[in-house]
Amino acid sequence: MADTFKNTPPAPEDKGAMTAENIAAALAGESQASQKYLAFADVADGEGYPNVARLFRAVAFAESTHARNHLSVLGKIGTTSENLKAAWGGETFEIDEMYPAYDAVAKLQENKSAQTTIHYALKAEMDHQGIYDETLKGVEGKKDLAAAPVRVCPICGHTVIGDAPAECPQCGTDGSFFKEF
Amino acid sequence: MDEDLEKRLPRPADLNAMTEQSLKAAFAGESQAAEKYMVFAEQADEEGLPNIANLFRAISFAETRHARNHLRVMKGINSTADNLAVAFAGESFEIDEMYPAYAAISKSQKNIQATRSVKYALKAELDHKWMYAEARERALEGKDRDAKPVSVCLICGHTVIGDVPDKCPVCAAAKEQYRTF
Repeated sequence: MADTFKNTPPAPEDKGAMTAENIAAALAGESQASQKYLAFADVADGEGYPNVARLFRAVAFAESTHARNHLSVLGKIGTTSENLKAAWGGETFEIDEMYPAYDAVAKLQENKSAQTTIHYALKAEMDHQGIYDETLKGVEGKKDLAAAPVRVCPICGHTVIGDAPAECPQCGTDGSFFKEF
Repeated sequence: MDEDLEKRLPRPADLNAMTEQSLKAAFAGESQAAEKYMVFAEQADEEGLPNIANLFRAISFAETRHARNHLRVMKGINSTADNLAVAFAGESFEIDEMYPAYAAISKSQKNIQATRSVKYALKAELDHKWMYAEARERALEGKDRDAKPVSVCLICGHTVIGDVPDKCPVCAAAKEQYRTF
């Protein structure tokens, strides 16, 4: 799949601050639409509408191509080394600022569900930050990551390299449910 | 979903305005991270770093778990008929307001690549809108869609039900560049 759209999506073009602002907003919109449709596809499967689920998954993929195109225009697709730095930066912001701030508000307003979803995300971002950091060091020495499976908890997103734990340390989900990459 | 897994998910909740604002922003952040990491995975593949590509795909999946959890707490995941109405409204907004406004600005700022990225998205949303409308009518009668495949152009997101055209009518990509769901 990597080769098929090489050079063909819209290319980076740095012209117009208002245009950049709009394309960034469109990237946010397409990304959220894609995630919503994937969640809606699971609901459709659960309700016995497999062909509606299929439509949602296809359209989610279409929105992902739009997100990629917008990201390309913004000049935000770099080399892997640059991409790892950007990824690490995003995780770090979420850990240091975003989720602690949201958690403070959710606690103040005594919303348990919101605290749970924030807690799950924050803990997983800490995993991601550490993994991206290690991986970046390797790439800077021209090395790929070692060929080990990456496993992700389907409930809270807890991420480990190698074997899944017997039970997810964040949400208690049995390790056999972890998705392997 | 397995009942034991389901009960570990954060529950839908009534939200105060500030908590809702936090979760909305977190949903936007997670959705964009998930999309970016999928694009970064393609880039790592192209650079001959398959294990880093695999890591980006795994962490992208983790972010989709967070996005879904946040959306669930905000009561954004409902019945399929309701989900289709939400999807239809989102596409309509993009067609009627968002993308025409962005196209006007990117044209006035002479940004050719942004104009192209906006056009690709707008054209595809037009297809998505009627596909969702049709699926919703059937879902309201308790019926699934017909079992026809849905195919998506990898370059521009053009979406078609049934046979794939020889050439994408929007971006002229070859037939082989469609992905079928």
